[in-house]
Amino acid sequence: MTLLRAQGLTAGYGPVTVLHEIDIEVNEGEIVVVLGANGAGKTTTMRAISGTIPRHGTIEFQGHSIQKAAADAIVRAGVAQVPQGRGTFPELSVQDNLLAGAYVRRDGSKAIGDDIRKWFSVFPRLEERATQRAGSLSGGEQQMLAIARALMSRPKLLLCDEPSMGLAPLITQELFNVIGRLNREEGLSVLLVEQNANLAMHMASRVYLLETGVIVASGSAAELSADDSIRKAYLGF
Amino acid sequence: MKPLISIKSGGPASWAIRIACALAVGYILLWIPTRGSNSLIDTATTALTLMGAALSLNLLLGFTGQISLGHSAFFGIGTYTTAIFVTRWGWSPLKTLPVAFVVAFVVGAVVSLPALRIKGVYLALVTLALGVVFPQFIKWPKIAWLTGGARGLNDTGFKFDKNNRTYEIFGWNPWGNLRGENVKPFYFWIGIGIVAIIYLICRGLVKSRVGRSLIAIRDNSTAAAVMGVNLAVTKGIVFGLSAAMCALPGCLTAMKGSVVTPDTALLTVVGSITFLIVMVVGGAGSLWGPIIGAVVFELITEKTSDWVDPDKIPSLIRPIFSWSDTAPAGGIFALALVVLMFVAPLGLVGLWKQTIARVVSVVPRPAGSGTLDAPESSAGGIPTWRPQQEPPAGDEAE
Ligand SMILES: Nc1ncnc2c1ncn2[C@@H]1O[C@H](COP(=O)(O)OP(=O)(O)OP(=O)(O)O)[C@@H](O)[C@H]1O
Ligand SMILES: [Mg+2]
Repeated sequence: MTLLRAQGLTAGYGPVTVLHEIDIEVNEGEIVVVLGANGAGKTTTMRAISGTIPRHGTIEFQGHSIQKAAADAIVRAGVAQVPQGRGTFPELSVQDNLLAGAYVRRDGSKAIGDDIRKWFSVFPRLEERATQRAGSLSGGEQQMLAIARALMSRPKLLLCDEPSMGLAPLITQELFNVIGRLNREEGLSVLLVEQNANLAMHMASRVYLLETGVIVASGSAAELSADDSIRKAYLGF
Repeated sequence: MKPLISIKSGGPASWAIRIACALAVGYILLWIPTRGSNSLIDTATTALTLMGAALSLNLLLGFTGQISLGHSAFFGIGTYTTAIFVTRWGWSPLKTLPVAFVVAFVVGAVVSLPALRIKGVYLALVTLALGVVFPQFIKWPKIAWLTGGARGLNDTGFKFDKNNRTYEIFGWNPWGNLRGENVKPFYFWIGIGIVAIIYLICRGLVKSRVGRSLIAIRDNSTAAAVMGVNLAVTKGIVFGLSAAMCALPGCLTAMKGSVVTPDTALLTVVGSITFLIVMVVGGAGSLWGPIIGAVVFELITEKTSDWVDPDKIPSLIRPIFSWSDTAPAGGIFALALVVLMFVAPLGLVGLWKQTIARVVSVVPRPAGSGTLDAPESSAGGIPTWRPQQEPPAGDEAE
């Protein structure tokens, strides 16, 4: 079943149009990867979906249009975003960051506390630093925190923008394992932007190739890596 | 250096200290109006006025990182709401408090609309304009029928006279005969009530989900937005609330004085600056900062009020201040401010915390020990405001 469907999605900054009528779909339970060079418009795509920049076109989530919805309404609908870079709140403790992630939830502090414990068990490093200021965490720890925080809103779809940026290969692997596990065990759908194409292709259900704001190819990971020119340009082997 | 003593947060020692502090504060609060001299009660009431205003301002700065130089206008809205309702329509002064709160909230929320789009120096200038315009607006001849124009309004407070000796709350009279001198403790208690309300609102906000979202906005507004925080609404409400709270001590000014004019110092930009200084010297971004700041400010003002006469200045520091032909409290505070910004940019409260941290270490409760359901905010107050720090860039293309 289609979870997210964006058609003719156009977005940009002020007078500059970055995305030109792109179509993107995420089905329930899928991990969809967006690949593209620097400046191709991957982050812009994420922002257009999460409603943090003005956009045109039709965007449907679970069959309802979210085209006119504000960013907070989109979070409530079940779309969470891990912004590119360290989007944590440095002055809040790790625990308070997680609570901030649960901002839109109305199901009481008990359920929220349970979720915090759950993410602490997934990311034990965070538990050890629960009362520490998030600003004092290492880059990798902050990235884990950003993901755990996004998941605190219990999203159906996670928009994840380059989670591996600046992380050691081992940590990146660990992070992707977690994302893969959440996808298998909890049915979390993920729209993932990733420069580390090899790693991403392994877990991808489907892949979109973005080039200067236009989708130039899409298909299953196997289909795309079978295409020589794509493999050379994006996968480097 | 290792601290000498270590105290467990939430343990018996920390509770003993808390109770001791509460008792000390309670004792002082009872001592001033019952045993203190009239001038001491007066000073204390003025300190409470400044406290309330600085606390309100602190909510804005400590939480959203926005500077306002227009809080004297909100303060003045309080003063004039009370003055107008009492003199024009014969309201009881206490009943004007909620009216002033609502009026200032609305004005504050409207002012916050441009404040959502601008930051830093630009916001300081816009709010400064508000502070400058307010007294002019009050003097505007077209509304002089209401505000009394430049001459101001008389008899704006409680009217106690031979026939009306006391003020009762639903027939209950806790203050005794309120004629003459005995009226001073009465205003002191109103001041305490106002500061308590403001303090509790601020404290409640800090510890709440809203408070967390405000710090989130200040730290990284893009990330806060994708957490589902509605930036415009949240900022508007806080600005409105800060304005509304600042109006309450303004009301007290009208209640205790018998005359209100647009040139009353605290109603002009001087007021805004005073609130800001009190807050910064005490410690911006902490709940106790403005409280300590106001007490220290008033003590210095009081102690140095007769220093106009050079012979009254202690001989050691006479050369520094003797040239001044007005009381040098402002100058002393300015000097203190400069020194503080170097040794303790987080004010007296910050200085105290730095010092105490050398001697006592507070061991936080271990994580996950059952407090997750009602977690405390990280710093136990409004998390630290760092004057020199640029907000960290979150989403890198921002
Ligand atoms: N806030 C902004 N204001 C103006 N232009 C922007 C802004 N953010 C991005 N752009 C422009 O939009 C284009 C696409 O940027 P985007 O961040 O979407 O790229 P990206 O694919 O995420 O790149 P990267 O892999 O480097 O993260 C770039 O040309 C960039 O200059
Ligand atoms: Mg990007």
